[in-house]
Order: sequence, then C-alpha cells, then structure tokens
Amino acid sequence: MYQGKSTLIGKIALWVVVLIAVSWAVFPFYWAIVTSFKQPGVIMTTPSLIPWLQFTPTLANWNDEFTQRWPEISRALTNSLIVSTGATLVAITLGTMAGYGLARFRFRRWKNKDMTMWFLSQRFLPPMATAIPFFLVMKFLNLLDTQLALILVNATFTMPFAVLTLRDVFKELPKEMEESAWVDGASHFQAFFRIALPLAAPAIAAAAVICFAFSWNEFLFALILTYRNAQPITVVIAGVEHTQGVQFWFVATRLLIAILPPALLALTAQRYIVRGLTFGAVKG
Amino acid sequence: MPERSRVKYLFVLPGIIWVLCFTIFPLLYSLRLAFFQARLGKSETFIWLENFRRALFEDYRFWNSMGVTVFFVVCSVVCTVSLGLALALLFNRPLRGQRLFRALFTTPLFTAPIALGYLGLTIFHEQVGAVNTVLFALGVEHPPAWFSSIWPARIAIVLVDIWQWTPFCFLVLLAGLQSLPDEIYEAAWLDTSSSWDIFRHITLPLLTPVLFTVSILRMVEAFKMLDIPFSMTSGGPGAATQTYSFYIYLTGLRNFNAGYASALAYILLFVMLLISLSFFNRLRQLYE
Repeated sequence: MYQGKSTLIGKIALWVVVLIAVSWAVFPFYWAIVTSFKQPGVIMTTPSLIPWLQFTPTLANWNDEFTQRWPEISRALTNSLIVSTGATLVAITLGTMAGYGLARFRFRRWKNKDMTMWFLSQRFLPPMATAIPFFLVMKFLNLLDTQLALILVNATFTMPFAVLTLRDVFKELPKEMEESAWVDGASHFQAFFRIALPLAAPAIAAAAVICFAFSWNEFLFALILTYRNAQPITVVIAGVEHTQGVQFWFVATRLLIAILPPALLALTAQRYIVRGLTFGAVKG
Repeated sequence: MPERSRVKYLFVLPGIIWVLCFTIFPLLYSLRLAFFQARLGKSETFIWLENFRRALFEDYRFWNSMGVTVFFVVCSVVCTVSLGLALALLFNRPLRGQRLFRALFTTPLFTAPIALGYLGLTIFHEQVGAVNTVLFALGVEHPPAWFSSIWPARIAIVLVDIWQWTPFCFLVLLAGLQSLPDEIYEAAWLDTSSSWDIFRHITLPLLTPVLFTVSILRMVEAFKMLDIPFSMTSGGPGAATQTYSFYIYLTGLRNFNAGYASALAYILLFVMLLISLSFFNRLRQLYE
C-alpha cells in the first residue's frame, strides 16, 4: 500500500495529473456529444469546442436521426439487439455449465486444465483466420445475411470469457452445500440449479454483460456475413462516409447511438471486468 | 464427490463440442484452402506450398502489412502498459472518487472500435478536427494533415488505440497492485523512505507476473487490429496503415483470393502461437 507524506504541493500535483487523466478519458465522448449539437454548416467552416461560447447548439441532428433516418437506425439496432442477446444466451448457457463442470468435477481422461486451455485458446485465435471458411460455410448453409449466422459466430467468440470467468467464480463458492445436497439425494443438476446457480447469479449476470458488449461491438464478421437485412449497427455506421465525404454531424449522432448501450451496460459489470478480461489470471 | 458419475460430461461437453464445430472445422477448411490456388466460387488447383512461398518471398504487400502491424503492436503495447502502470500507481492510494474514476476508465474498453475509428476521423480532421483546433489555438501554424501523410496517419491510429486500451492496462495493473500484501510494504517502509526504492525493489518484482499477462494480452489483441484502420484511414495513405488482418481481409474477401488469404491467415496464426506459448504455460499452472 501507499504510504505517503502529503504536502500541499504533492496534493495539488496529484489532482492535476488525475484531472488530465480524466479529461483524456472523456474527451472523445465530449467531442462526439458536442459535435452532435453543431449545425451542419458550422461544423465544416469554423473549428469549435465549447457550446454556447463558440457556437449555438441545435437539436437538428438528433431530430433528423430520430425521424428521417430512424427506419434504418432502428432496424440496425434491432439486429444488434437480437444478435447480441442470442449470442449471449448461448454463450452464457454453455459457458455456465462448462465453467461449473470444470470447477466442480475432476476429469481424468482429458484433464481439467487441458479443457480450460482449450477454451482459452479460442481467444487467441485471430478472427481473420476463420473468417473465410465461415463465409463459405454460411453461404453453403444459406445463412448469409441472417441474424442466426451472427449469433453463431458471436456465441463462439464470447464463450471463452463466460467459461473462464464462471469457472473461477464457481471455484470460489464453497462446495459443502452442494455436497450435502448430493448426500440428501439431489442429482447433480438439482444441486447445480438450486444451489450453485443462485449463488453465482451476480457473476453470471456480469459475464453476460461482457459477452453482450463484445457481441454488440463485433465488426469484422458482421461486415462479411451480412449485406442488407441483418446488418447490425456496427456495419451501418461504417456507411457514414460513403456519400459526401465525412459528415461530422451524422457520424456523431450515430456513433453515440452505437457506443452508448454496451458502454453503459458494462458499468454494471465493474467487479468482474478485470477477472473476465484476463481469463482469471488477475483477480479484480 | 461421486467420481464415477457420467453426468459431469454433460456439463462440459456441449461447450467443447460447440467450439470444436465452430473453430476447428473452419480452421481445417482454411488449412486445406491454403494449399490451393482457389478463388471464391471458382475452380481450385492444388499447388503445394506455393501460396506460402509467394507470401514470404515475393509479396511486398505482405511484408508491408507485417511491418505496419509490428509497428502498431510495439507502440501500442509499450505505451498502453507504461501509461497504465503510471496511472495504476497514481490511483493506488486512498483517493476520493476512486470508484468514479475506475468507472470512467471502463467505458473506452467497451466502445466499439469501428465507431471509435470514425470518431477519430473527425477528431483528427485537418481543418476542423479537435486536435488541430487545439493546435491552432496553441499557435501552431501548420498542424499536420493527419490522414494524407504516412507517419501522422500511423500516429493517429496508434493514439486512438492507446486511448482505447490504456484503461485495460490500468484496471488490471491496479487490481494487481491492490492484491500485493500490505505487510511487505509496512516492513519495507521501516528500512527506506524512498518511494523509488520501494517501487524498484518491491512493487516491480511482485508485479512482474501481472505485467507479463497484460503485455501478452495486449500484444495478441493488437496483432488482430483491423477495425480502427478500416474506419479511420481505410489502410491509407497508400498502404501505410494497412494492418496484416486488413490485408487478409482485402485479399480474401474483396479480391476473393481465398487460397492465398488462407495461407496468409495461417502465417498470422503461427505468429500468434509463438507469442502466446509462454503465456499458455503460465496459465496451465494457474488452472490446475
């Protein structure tokens, strides 16, 4: 732990650095929000950073987004929502079971750690390496441009997070309660559903949030596997610059719509983020 | 615990089989493709290792994209880890509002990189972008035209990547720092009063495993980089910011040269494997 003699200068210096760090972290968001309230004409002529002082904010861009362009955006958001939810459900269901199995039982033919490594290695696989075969397979199965294709892909790529985080969580739960349930005649599944699952519920929810956010933000496969009806928001925002160069106002509103859901949702998973993102190598 | 029960397999098998179907099968498929001259939807010819030979000895775009990627990886890993460490050391003390800061630093991690790239496009815009607005205000007369020359474009991308990933390093390293035992520090403060000595002889050695973990994870992620260059520069100017994954994408899915792209993908897979082997060993012990 830190043990310091805090002088006034030290304190001020500390807060200055903290302030710089915080502004660095929030600046892009600030910029996006400010830009979204600028008038289209003003944006390209005068550089400005501060509303009211340097320019008069307007709601016109947001208004456009929610009226004129809403059909496109809402379809993309619906797709993103369906894909991310579907992928999360699959990843969490299979991930919870596998995590529990790896934490509670001892496997001999194929050792626990080998199976854990098997899940982990998926995260190290460059997605580009599977992109082409995925495209061909989905084309063969007639699943191109469907939400199902993206659900399958995202479930595969987020499952390792679920397995490894939850394995860790189940390991930390006392197993005495489940053991006494087994003695009382409960099956493995009953013990799992009635005792372990409720205890691990907060962690499972957090893992689900992380899986959801990653599926929502996924771009490469969404780009390759969809072209119209099933396009999620990440692909739709990639179309912003096509027509007349970069339309700042357009970019800003759209990006905020795309960015905010996972970023806000992730705040609820705070406690498990470090553990999840390092696959249990560092406890948060 | 009833050891013999077969039920336990029901818990782990669905997940394992799922991953088997959805990654091993595609990987085998592209391994096969890598030995073929194959264009999507057209005929295939078996050409042994020709694709690999062509990539390694004839394709300057391969080496260019590899170089670009390595540059991004090195810059990104060095900057994010050291910045993250500095911030973690700074925040590892009783500080009012620490929870709020940690929450703020979580958001970049879950910002879609593709969206961030477009945002970067507006932030680094030559005339009215945020960065040049500030540079103008500071009296710089000719701030860089970020996207039309090679190095500014690369730096802009690296900066965006650093912005996104420093919080990750910060959060993980902070967790690492906070898990170090207090007793050692209490004893150490009796012997010395220099925070630098404490950092060098105690904090740094104890933190090495965590630093190692963070660096490897960052390296692996940075090697996959595609979204930010895709949206911010489209790989340009020329191919100055064309990362390796981007090049595979262009080869396989824009030019439909599936065989060659698969060979390129396998080279990437091999590089990643080399990087992560040491990490895998460490984790295998941990998962015991």
